Amino acid sequence: MKIEIIRETLKNKSLKKEFALITNLINSDSEIFVPGINLTGMFSKYFDEIEKIFNSNKNGIIENTEIFVQTFKNPIKVIIVGAVDISTYLIDFAKNLNFEIIVVDPRKSFASKERFPHIKIINKWPDEAFNQIETNSKTALVTLTHDPKIDDPALQYAIKNKFFYIGALGSKKTHEKRCLRLIEAGFKHMEVEAINGPIGIRLGGKSPSEIALSIISQLVSEKYKNKI
Amino acid sequence: MSYFTEKKIFEEADNWIQNNKKVSLATVIQTWGSSPLGVGSRMIVDEDGNFLGSVSGGCVEAKVVEECISLIKNKKDYKKIDFKVSNENAWEIGLACGGDISIYIEEIK
Repeated sequence: MKIEIIRETLKNKSLKKEFALITNLINSDSEIFVPGINLTGMFSKYFDEIEKIFNSNKNGIIENTEIFVQTFKNPIKVIIVGAVDISTYLIDFAKNLNFEIIVVDPRKSFASKERFPHIKIINKWPDEAFNQIETNSKTALVTLTHDPKIDDPALQYAIKNKFFYIGALGSKKTHEKRCLRLIEAGFKHMEVEAINGPIGIRLGGKSPSEIALSIISQLVSEKYKNKI
Repeated sequence: MSYFTEKKIFEEADNWIQNNKKVSLATVIQTWGSSPLGVGSRMIVDEDGNFLGSVSGGCVEAKVVEECISLIKNKKDYKKIDFKVSNENAWEIGLACGGDISIYIEEIK
């Protein structure tokens, strides 16, 4: 493989492009596949097969050939509402798990650059903040303030926009009240039940880092369940 | 699908090359049965045997490093290595998990 291909891969990653790296195992020639753009040389013959592997988020050798395809897709976006202590641990875990984190908190003292270096922070109320974030069904929401004024609008947005994962911090009681408020606001039972609340898998832990671990574990598990 | 670690490995490969090292890239291209790491897992190895990344749970790395060094020494471009649990060498380099994997090694030029 040529170093230029490795550099092109890194450039595409930093530009947040989605692509595949294809290698001819017979001579170790490589090329970058970008959806919708034609390939050159012998790779062009396999455009459809490469696209198929790319679209299914897989890596592998095209059947009956010596062409290897590795798919590069963007990390899953996780919006954390609440720049609280748990969030700092969540960010630490997420670093090595291919998640892109965005922190939303209108309270400037919480969501400061000092507390969250190298992380995209939006110092706005969720309604306004979500206008600045591109979201889709591959986006996840984690609400951690357990203040209805901040959490509820974010939850409503995530339900409406069909996020694949929605989790809300709070005890069983807090969550029951939260569900009632959402039902009163006109959401269906099914939609409200899809919220992971109390958030996280049952680890039994109590400290902020242990809670963060249980949340990130649930996120990874839901990612695979939903084949994202 | 690629993982976060692939980016880290490619960044480091670029660094090593810029520091005039000879670097080879090892990639898991096929697996059968239960294997520790998925297809697309990668590892880089320099001519001194320093490596970053992983192609198994530690079962075959030593052998892959050895192969990468000899690939560079013998000025070969690439090689495919198959690891099977049924290999005679199974006890030395075999996969405890009982799976088979194919690893492709190539020099980064």
